[in-house]
Amino acid sequence: MILSSHGIIASQIASFDADAVAFFTRVTTAGGTLSTTEKQAVNQLVLDLKANSLWTPMKAIYPMVGASAAACAQNLKSSSFTGTFTSGWTFASTGVTPNGTSAYMNTTVNDLNDLGANATIATYINANGSSTIGWELGVFASPAIVGMSIANGGSSNFIDIKSGISSVYSEGYVGGLFLGTTNGTTNQVYKNATNKGSNSQTTTGINLSHYIGALNQSPTVGIFGDKRTAFTCYANSTFTGTNVSNLYAAVQAFQTTLSRQV
Amino acid sequence: MIGYTLTPEQYEQIQGQYYAPYQFFNCVQDINGVWFLFLSDEDKPEVEASEYAWVLDLPEGEYIPPTPPPFPPIA
Repeated sequence: MILSSHGIIASQIASFDADAVAFFTRVTTAGGTLSTTEKQAVNQLVLDLKANSLWTPMKAIYPMVGASAAACAQNLKSSSFTGTFTSGWTFASTGVTPNGTSAYMNTTVNDLNDLGANATIATYINANGSSTIGWELGVFASPAIVGMSIANGGSSNFIDIKSGISSVYSEGYVGGLFLGTTNGTTNQVYKNATNKGSNSQTTTGINLSHYIGALNQSPTVGIFGDKRTAFTCYANSTFTGTNVSNLYAAVQAFQTTLSRQV
Repeated sequence: MIGYTLTPEQYEQIQGQYYAPYQFFNCVQDINGVWFLFLSDEDKPEVEASEYAWVLDLPEGEYIPPTPPPFPPIA
């Protein structure tokens, strides 16, 4: 039996996780399409997250598959926090790229009300841009920031989760999974599965929606980034080092299946 | 970077308006206060199919970004 609406056969449905199927349905309903490989990759990602107790704390997961705004706007975790994109994005099977001048995605994930003092944010960047000042995601209400700017000025990595603006480590652009996790006191910073340092939490949260591709500094939007994103997630929980290692393994396997890993 | 230039009235007509179910226009001002719109190759067919197809006929110009406001000092 073939389900034309999904383009997959019954035996495949039986082997897909229910939450993965729900995501596929959201994408299709929105007018997007996913390849068989993308569905298999997403399904395995869900299974890996669940196997490592990482699924439940997630509020939003944007796997950036489907190469369209309709598909990439969908939250893998649930039907909540469906995003919207401004004009100026490039959508491809390799990920989504903002133009560095005017483009951002509004996730509607509120930093204060949806994430709180114990939170984790991660993003997988798999291509550099030309901007040396852009922010890849975040919210800003001076002097507090919850955001990421990779290779700012060529080498400074700002991965600040509910802190002041602080470059925890310096490295020229190298793609991968950038993660910040905070426990109400201290923000730990990771690049892939390696702890890169920490800074202090200075706010329990900023009452603004998280943007991808720029900083939400309402009433303005600023410091647009132009690096390609292939995954972003938000969790209202502190991640341990083990959690981070398991998340990185799951995300890297996901990217490798899609041939867009770095 | 080349973009479409808009009058203030045209800006008011499209800013924040959706041209597709998950996509809306976002314009920015250049160093001279002129409003610019940037569309990717993926945006253009969507815009053409919308009620805002006239945007694709707007004049184009070279965008010069304004001087960004100072970012707070690093902690």
